[in-house]
Amino acid sequence: MTKRPEEIINTLPPLRRRQVLAGMAGAAAIGLLPRGAFAQDGNVLRIRANSNPSSLDPATGGAGSDHVFLYNFYDTLVDWEPETLAPKPGLAASWDFTDPTTLVLKLQEGVTFHDGSPFNAEAVKFNLDRNRTAQLSNIKKDLANVSEVQATDELTVTLTLSAPDTALPLILSDRAGMMVSPQALNNDPEANVDRAPVGTGPWTFTGWTDNEKVSGERFADHWREGIPGVDGIVLNVIPEAATGLRAIQSGQVDLAYQLDERQQQLVDKMPNLTLVAGPTLYIYQVYLNSARGPLQDVRVRRAMSLAIDRDAYVQVTQAGVGEPAYMNLPKAHWAWSEEAAAVTTFDVDAAKKLMEEAGFADGIELDMRGYPDQGSVQRQEFLLAQWAKIGVKGRFTNAPISEASGRFFGDEKVGDLLMSAWTGRPDPSLTYALMYGQTSYYNPGRVAPPEGYDAALQKSRESNDQAERAAALSTVQKLAMEAALCIPLSIRYEVDATTDRVQNFKANLLGKPKFRDVTLG
Amino acid sequence: MSDAVQSPPVAQIDRDGFLTRVRHWLIDDPVAAVALVALAVIVACAIFAPWIAPFDPTMQDYNSMLDGPSAVHLLGTDDLGRDVFSRLIYGARASVYAAFLAVGVASLLGIPIGLIAGYAGGWVDEVVSRIIDTFLSFPAIVLAIAVTGVLGIGLTNAMLSVGIVFAPQLARLVRARALVLKQELYVDAARCFGASTWSILTRHILPNAIQPVLVQMTLLMAVALLAEASLSFLGLGTQPPDASWGSMIARAYLYAQIAPAQMYAPGIAILVTALAFNTVGESLREALDPTSRRP
Amino acid sequence: MLNPLQKRMLRRRIVQAVPVLLLATFSVFMLLKLLPGDVAITLAGENATTERIEEIRRINGLDRPLLVQYGQWALNAVQGDLSESLLSGEEVTTTLARVFPNTLFIVCYAILLSIVIGVPLGLLAAARSGGLADRLVMVGSSVGVALPNFWIAMILVVALALNRQIFPATGFVSPWQDLSGAIWYATLPAVALAASGVAEVSRQLRSSLVEVLGSQHFRTLHAKGLPFRSILWRHGLKNVSVNLLTVISLLVNRTLAATVVVEVVFAVPGMGNTIVNATLQRDFPVVQGAVLVMVLTVITVNLITDMLYSVLDPRISQR
Repeated sequence: MTKRPEEIINTLPPLRRRQVLAGMAGAAAIGLLPRGAFAQDGNVLRIRANSNPSSLDPATGGAGSDHVFLYNFYDTLVDWEPETLAPKPGLAASWDFTDPTTLVLKLQEGVTFHDGSPFNAEAVKFNLDRNRTAQLSNIKKDLANVSEVQATDELTVTLTLSAPDTALPLILSDRAGMMVSPQALNNDPEANVDRAPVGTGPWTFTGWTDNEKVSGERFADHWREGIPGVDGIVLNVIPEAATGLRAIQSGQVDLAYQLDERQQQLVDKMPNLTLVAGPTLYIYQVYLNSARGPLQDVRVRRAMSLAIDRDAYVQVTQAGVGEPAYMNLPKAHWAWSEEAAAVTTFDVDAAKKLMEEAGFADGIELDMRGYPDQGSVQRQEFLLAQWAKIGVKGRFTNAPISEASGRFFGDEKVGDLLMSAWTGRPDPSLTYALMYGQTSYYNPGRVAPPEGYDAALQKSRESNDQAERAAALSTVQKLAMEAALCIPLSIRYEVDATTDRVQNFKANLLGKPKFRDVTLG
Repeated sequence: MSDAVQSPPVAQIDRDGFLTRVRHWLIDDPVAAVALVALAVIVACAIFAPWIAPFDPTMQDYNSMLDGPSAVHLLGTDDLGRDVFSRLIYGARASVYAAFLAVGVASLLGIPIGLIAGYAGGWVDEVVSRIIDTFLSFPAIVLAIAVTGVLGIGLTNAMLSVGIVFAPQLARLVRARALVLKQELYVDAARCFGASTWSILTRHILPNAIQPVLVQMTLLMAVALLAEASLSFLGLGTQPPDASWGSMIARAYLYAQIAPAQMYAPGIAILVTALAFNTVGESLREALDPTSRRP
Repeated sequence: MLNPLQKRMLRRRIVQAVPVLLLATFSVFMLLKLLPGDVAITLAGENATTERIEEIRRINGLDRPLLVQYGQWALNAVQGDLSESLLSGEEVTTTLARVFPNTLFIVCYAILLSIVIGVPLGLLAAARSGGLADRLVMVGSSVGVALPNFWIAMILVVALALNRQIFPATGFVSPWQDLSGAIWYATLPAVALAASGVAEVSRQLRSSLVEVLGSQHFRTLHAKGLPFRSILWRHGLKNVSVNLLTVISLLVNRTLAATVVVEVVFAVPGMGNTIVNATLQRDFPVVQGAVLVMVLTVITVNLITDMLYSVLDPRISQR
């Protein structure tokens, strides 16, 4: 939070500003309270969820929106600080790189799975091996650098790496670190718990009705005392944000997360609701295919980025709730870099000049791609108006997400650009590797990143010191922004509403809320 | 149906008679005349939009977003500060284009299929009828959504799919008429004189089957208009930065709680246009129906 | 209750339904397969690689020849197994058993409203043919037919659910769990759908009544001194019931289609939302199952209508 500049806070309306700060500060306060200080009466936390989970097995799911469900039933090996995403102990009480290619995890004692089987080094080995090798695993790539997992003793796991990778602790705070009961899978790595999760998390699973709800009840033997804060949890699937707000307004639910930014002013008007807001890793951005037509020229790509008034973008498309993005991380993140963010500004004259230098003074026509929902269309129309100023013309051809991104990033390679978003990764080095790596899926042109990029990225994964890592990642980001390989637009803010009963709920920087600490007053 | 018997053996359009009939029709039914004028105005809006609209429909002004009506912006501004009145006028283009395209496609597909099925009879008719049944047992919009998916999202593709979905309705109508007409004496006569199937179909059967089809086409215009609005509402129709009434409503719904008035104007525009198409269609049906009491 | 002729007609209609169902599901299947992009991309998740997408296709059998895929589906479907959603793994029959009653409930509610409001209006208009009431009803019905129903839905939401919270704006309660709650939630969607239904019913009823009232038979009864009102009720309605039946069966089909968009506006977990979402995500077992149920519904409604025709007017089944 130290890097949060005044002007962002000042752009928010008074009420919100207070609550943003309160939401962030609340996190620290909770840590000081003694465990068990929270009421644990027979109460159920009802939550409005915004989409049906794709699966409740961490290894087989595909959607970023699944985590909010998964966190309730699974614990992760590594946890993070909600405000900065710096790693902290989870199921692994501590970890240590004994050498650059050896990571040793010391596990928590006395942890059991919901089915009563013990959580130990063997269970961790089973999970990590399943995640990195099973055919059904969607997250093999996350653990690509792990070459062997050994259960050294009952509570010690040793990971042998094929290459240094200090991103691993945070990778283990994501899907890859969610521990499924091997017994529930009959010790078969190819089995799944898609519709019946069994983990060590605060609630045991009680049911999932597609597009309706997912529910759980208190896991009395959870290893952390005082967790969970409520006896039961129900996530009601209500995709549409307006409906979600109405659900909490009418008292059908106690908490609604990821509302539409435009609803912020409505929440403010409702006396019984509290707004919890804060930055997330979710970034609206335009992906460019740098291997096609005029976009091969770095000057054209730079010009298109410089031509966008990001402050206006936040005002128009997010009702002012958000922050302009000049790089691929929000300002609150530990790896945010002032130097990298300074590369991009709003400068129409400079943009025009770059277009002239590139030989496109008369303008260019691009094949633009996007998604058909009204929110996306609004963003597209904003961008078209911005780019029109420097002679970049074109039309958007929209398609559902899987089709549009499949054809843009996949083998077909249709379209010059895609108006989309980046949902964030726990460790920033993953973001950079996935977004700009030469063979990465999200680099549609499969163009090589600038000179020195791979080396700096590698350095960030070899060091175990946060400041050193941040410096290396700053170089990575700066090179990417100078090459304008994609155009970040703005940070999405978490906009959550809670009723007065809800206490100890806080937004986190990942933008995927956890409810384990929440209590009902 | 008795008009077939009254019809001349070979259809011939008597130009003078046609105009006179139109004049009589409109004098007899002033409401239809008003509807026709309304349609003319809407088509004129579509054609001359750049000269009529006070503003560029894509011009954004972030200092006046979601403003109410004023002297400058007759119907206020939308979420990007664009002039709603100008977008409404430009939106007429999408609607008129959509209606004519969809009905055009439906006619091009449906009329020949219906003619062939009705005239050929036998197994051809049986197969075609089953296919028509199948298509008619689908909820039309579901089919349109799926076809739009195949062709790709966009106004033209959306309306092509709506046209495909409408075609069976016209085909069924034409088939029923052709079934009756092929047994008429003058068709038999033409066949005896060695007229080709093509010439029988185009010169004898089609002209005599066309009247109810014309009525149906006019009514389908209204349905096509509503279908365009629905598909644009779902995000499958008109694409940015173009304006269409359906997409204007869809966008307004994002702001339903903040600026509910945004959704009224485009909805009324759809209503008036559909009403006009329906009125003209119904009136045509009566004017062309020989059993109705007309002087 | 059924005479042999009617039984034969029933049998023939059921046999005819088979190719229609096959053709319908097959064409939907082919349409979905023609769609660019497939469910594997969604299934592969956010870190997808091209190889991973291929692997997912293989695991789910999406790489088999199309005819084999369809054949497998149809074979299972005949045995009552509509397989599982590719995305969430839920049994399609479970999904449909949950969402179809919601849609059916709204459709029936809307049809009921159309009849309850439309019939008296039609009667009124016919009884006062040419009068003010008649004109008002006719203008109203013209407007009703031309109204975009999702627009009406939105206006209802703003007027009755947002400003004054008389009805819930969105969402739904299953009629199995809570009937009064279901009625409460279904009211606005049903009203939005009924706008064109009321118009259609009143207009058709009026025109067929006016026709009957103008007939020789009727004038005779009137001349005999029977009071106009009683003729209208006893003979008028009976004569136009066949006509009304046609309108209602058409209305069921049309309302079923219209729910697709209206359900989106009201966020009702019904067939419409299910089909739209599954189509956009290429989850073909769900789309197939939903289409199958919808087509079956339409066919059944048509069949019931025809049976009723033959009951009302026995000559029809002899065709």
